[in-house]
Amino acid sequence: MKNLYIGTAGWSYKDWMPNLYPKAQSANFDWLEYYSKYFNVVEVNSSYYTYISPKIVDGWIKKVEAKDDFLFTIKLHQDFTHKRKYSQEQIKAVKANLNQLSTTERFGGLLIQFPYSFVLNKENANHVKDLVDIFFEYDKFIEVRHKSWFIQRFFNFVESNKSSLCTIDQPVIGEAIEFKPVKVGDNLYIRFHGRNTKAWKASLGNFGKAQTYEQQNERYNYLYSPGELVEIEQKIKEVLDTVKKVFIIMNNHPKGNAVANALELIHFLNERIKVNVPETTLKAYPRLSKISLN
Amino acid sequence: MKTIFHLDMDAFFVSVERILDPSLEGKPVIVGGDPHGRGVVAACSYEARQFGLHSAMPIRTAFRLCPQGVYLHGHGKEYGRFSRAVKRHLERYFPIVQQASIDEFYLDFTGCEKIYGEPVQFAQKLQSEIWEKFHLPGSIGIASNKTIAKIASDFKKPRGITFVPIGKEKEFLAPLPIERIPGIGKATFPMLRSRGFKVVGDLANASPDYLSALLGKFGTDLWEKANGKGNDILVTGHERKSISKETTFDKDLVSKPKIEAILFELVSEACQLLRNENWQTSTVSIKLRYTDFVTLTRAKTIEPTDDDKVVFEIVKDLFEKSFNRRVGIRLIGIHLSKLNHFTEQCILFEDNGTIRKRMLRAVMKIRDKYGFESIRIGKTEID
Repeated sequence: MKNLYIGTAGWSYKDWMPNLYPKAQSANFDWLEYYSKYFNVVEVNSSYYTYISPKIVDGWIKKVEAKDDFLFTIKLHQDFTHKRKYSQEQIKAVKANLNQLSTTERFGGLLIQFPYSFVLNKENANHVKDLVDIFFEYDKFIEVRHKSWFIQRFFNFVESNKSSLCTIDQPVIGEAIEFKPVKVGDNLYIRFHGRNTKAWKASLGNFGKAQTYEQQNERYNYLYSPGELVEIEQKIKEVLDTVKKVFIIMNNHPKGNAVANALELIHFLNERIKVNVPETTLKAYPRLSKISLN
Repeated sequence: MKTIFHLDMDAFFVSVERILDPSLEGKPVIVGGDPHGRGVVAACSYEARQFGLHSAMPIRTAFRLCPQGVYLHGHGKEYGRFSRAVKRHLERYFPIVQQASIDEFYLDFTGCEKIYGEPVQFAQKLQSEIWEKFHLPGSIGIASNKTIAKIASDFKKPRGITFVPIGKEKEFLAPLPIERIPGIGKATFPMLRSRGFKVVGDLANASPDYLSALLGKFGTDLWEKANGKGNDILVTGHERKSISKETTFDKDLVSKPKIEAILFELVSEACQLLRNENWQTSTVSIKLRYTDFVTLTRAKTIEPTDDDKVVFEIVKDLFEKSFNRRVGIRLIGIHLSKLNHFTEQCILFEDNGTIRKRMLRAVMKIRDKYGFESIRIGKTEID
């Protein structure tokens, strides 16, 4: 399917060796270039923490040159979404990245993600409106996690502002919503955070505490089972025909689980075509032999 | 006359296990747990059946017959996911899908020929779609009622399609061994065999009065089934009639406080389910199985309640009365039945329990929000 973009949140993880990236790498081995052989989209998360230099973005564009339909989606910097402190300089810096990608036809959209604590009230609604205005000309995906936003008026606002609502899958705890893709806007943007309920609950208590890399990422440590993916596929297919583009981003990154699941979803959502599975991934996830070309 | 499909997934649990681990392909696979343990075979592959294995066989017996088999504990949740996915796929074609068990579905094809074509051709399409989509093999029986459709789906397995045309029901059934009729099990089979009934035709030719005298209402039903009659109405959705919670121990337990702590846990879970559905129970039962498999159940009828404390007091009392042997316990369970809806009316004439009811409903809300473990009602520490 032409308008189906399936990939992962980020590509630069050391623990993807050896489950995606081989351990023995030549001097000019490039992770992004390798990644783009297997996927047609990646969500850039580093943009949430830093303002990325145009040189780096240039480098990315070059690395994916061989892959015609490859797109980047960019997660908006936390200064805008979480800290709410941003200057004209910072707006310019973000737009520079987006423009670079747009003019080279590599831009998938801007992800504007708000935290769970971000509830619908007048002030927050105005904040969303401000950001949407700033980035009006770009395709946007808005991720709100609190139930209060799920009202028709907000949906209408999203739709009429060159935006789409982001659907997420995460452990169903508290007021979290069970996975259900909804069409709000032209496109579908789905982020899968895994269903590691235990670690997710624990992480709520560890918020703000000093943690190791493993501790921080434990809540994303989850491999979706084939049965879960089949159910996910059925739910996505219910809305597939109503949207222009579909972005599916796997964020269950520890150890490369996101890679295995993204490959499986490529298979399921493309009428079960056999998929080009890297040897490394096949070795780590033998069940992928059922969907693999090789 | 209706046209009913019965789709029965072939060795369903094993098929799912093979999706999870393709290296199991072609091997004798047994789902049911530890081969030296106490379980029974929940499912086995066709390769395992060649060694004489079948479901419900004690797993130790299975291991004796087929020590080279791969024995698995199973992935219950995953079976449920695939079952739901198959059902959702069927619902694309049929407005009414009756799910008879985790791996069996009845479909009403009546009047669908104009849209979907001949039943057998459509069954082939459905069968291959389910294979291609889910990697799950299944067999389909097609007949004028549910009983015959079910017998037909079992006629050629795996991956069979059996069509019993209208009017040919008796002819199809006559040569089949009597145990093919659903409901003829361990108790009735020897009884009927000893009276000379070997094939379904024997039952069909018997006098219905004779079968009725022998087996009561089941005898009359049996005669009708043998003569090709049966229910053709699909039922969907079912209301919960009871709630059961039980647990089998890895090691037999003798410590009374430990068992009571476990009972308390089971009661908490069951009462939470009651409140989730806004039900109250008026019959509380317990089930005990001793090390030597002696099993007993004890029940008590009470005023409708959903209160952990009230239910636990009854359970504890029943347990104390039943736990009177110097033998360990291998299984313990509770069962809440005679469920009715909780209404405010019920509490109009009751004063002492009202505060607790409100408290418990608050507990339910907290658990809804933060999960079952977030708040506990105190009893005994659990290891």
